[in-house]
Amino acid sequence: MFEVRHRGSRMLLQLVLALMTLPFLLPLVEMVKGAFAGVGFQNFVVVWQTGVVPTFFKNSILLSMSVIALVYVGSMTAAFGFSKLRIRGKEIYFWMMIVALTLPEVILLSPLFVTFTKLQMYDTLFAVILPLAALQLPFAILLARNFYDGIPSELMDASRIDGANVPQLFWHVILPLTRPIASAIVVLTLINAWNSYLLPLVFLQDRSNQVVTLLPQFFIGQYSNDQTKILAAAVMTAIPTTLAYVLMQKNFERGLSAGALK
Amino acid sequence: MTTKSTTAAEPVRTRPGRHPSPTTRGRNRLNGLPWILPAFVFVAGLIYYSVGYTVYISTLDWDGLSPTAVAVGLGNYTDMLADPVFWASLRHTAVFWAVTFVVQTFLGFTLAAIMHSRVRLATLHKVIIFIPTVLAPATMAPVFRLFFADDGMVNNILRAVGLDALAHPWLADAGTALTVIMMITIWQWTGLWFILYYAAMSQIEPEIIEAARLDRAGNIRTLWYVVWPACRGTTVSLAMLSFIGALKTFDVPYLVTTGGPYHSTEFLGTYIYRQGIRQAHIGYAASISIVLLVLAIAGAIIIGRANRRRAGE
Repeated sequence: MFEVRHRGSRMLLQLVLALMTLPFLLPLVEMVKGAFAGVGFQNFVVVWQTGVVPTFFKNSILLSMSVIALVYVGSMTAAFGFSKLRIRGKEIYFWMMIVALTLPEVILLSPLFVTFTKLQMYDTLFAVILPLAALQLPFAILLARNFYDGIPSELMDASRIDGANVPQLFWHVILPLTRPIASAIVVLTLINAWNSYLLPLVFLQDRSNQVVTLLPQFFIGQYSNDQTKILAAAVMTAIPTTLAYVLMQKNFERGLSAGALK
Repeated sequence: MTTKSTTAAEPVRTRPGRHPSPTTRGRNRLNGLPWILPAFVFVAGLIYYSVGYTVYISTLDWDGLSPTAVAVGLGNYTDMLADPVFWASLRHTAVFWAVTFVVQTFLGFTLAAIMHSRVRLATLHKVIIFIPTVLAPATMAPVFRLFFADDGMVNNILRAVGLDALAHPWLADAGTALTVIMMITIWQWTGLWFILYYAAMSQIEPEIIEAARLDRAGNIRTLWYVVWPACRGTTVSLAMLSFIGALKTFDVPYLVTTGGPYHSTEFLGTYIYRQGIRQAHIGYAASISIVLLVLAIAGAIIIGRANRRRAGE
């Protein structure tokens, strides 16, 4: 967008970019530096050997995978229906879902606490998986529907003439085209599920059920504020989402833009 | 929108998904209801059930456990009007939204424009700016408590460049704690802003920029008069997103300052948690939740309306 003709102005632009990026980097430097302070890598070993960290990681993986599965299946099928099929009162259903986008998590706490306690689901991963998936689905459906709208219907008509029924059409023709939006949905859902804090804080009490976002608190309680251990745990917690983003960066950005720009 | 009937001769101008086609034309043959029903029942069931239940609880004086809940009608709501902490939370939310929205928009838009110019190491910068978005506030909270501590990196840098007067414990000072909460939020969300502006700018026709250049418009003028208006759709979506996000704010203030010192970083989310979970005033917490929900929906509608009116000009 900036047209820079002279070498001087080009270097100036590069300098401005570097200066604007620096503040985003500094807290990350502080985190990594702190995690290696004192005994260095030994911090990570000690943190891992508490035995608590593997459990928390296992629970977070289980939680994230379940939420991703629910959101992926739910949004891919529903967005297909909303975009390509005939449904009476379609927009009413759609807007009822979209209103849920405005819903803050805190509003779910009291009703779900009472209900989950009755159903004996309190202090199980289900108590976190279900509301997280329900809160994530509307946005995923919105993104996916916008993406599906960009897929020409002629493509479907052609294969219908070839005698394919709707599920076959969905499976063989549509689904293979949805990789960019699917990447965006999977990465966003992973970020949301892995990073969720309030619902696990309230609904997961037993240590064997807890997830990675509750690790700092555990270490503050356990090591009376040993910063290096807390930061080592923070670095470990940050790795999966960072990796997922970096590895899927291209597809993620393409899908996000295709779904969000209308 | 034209009201001319579309004949076979003229190109169909509707969006691809709305084409009249055998798949959508056929008489109820292709009922799509089964495709949306599972997701719809799941989302609507869980969410509308919870909203309904919260409305009911908000009329009670209840601790959530005891079998005796006292119906108090609108009592919780009138209490709220007289509660200074509730009003302080609303004020913080308003300031928080205004500041984070303006700063994130400025940074995201500028960064996107720079990355669309010929600069080196664009991907590296992009990744650094976006990584904060993928990290949990819960994970970063201990880092930021350290970062803004008396002997933390921020104060060290200030002292190193001779700005000793500015160095102080940022989070313990009621005058600066809210600023820090906003800075952390901006740090976290600018990456998303940037990516969406970057994508929006990719869709501007190069000819339009070219034409502005031929009219001898400089960089700043081109950005302001051509690029910025072309990104308006994105700006409106982000305004809505950040408005709702501001109302939902919980993780950062709860974990970094626990709403203090002296409620100076109290938000609706942290206050609902404090009342509902910590002090077991479930009914009162529910009534604040309902106000929060009404504000979120009303805000989204107002922003959407304002946008449509301006688009119609």
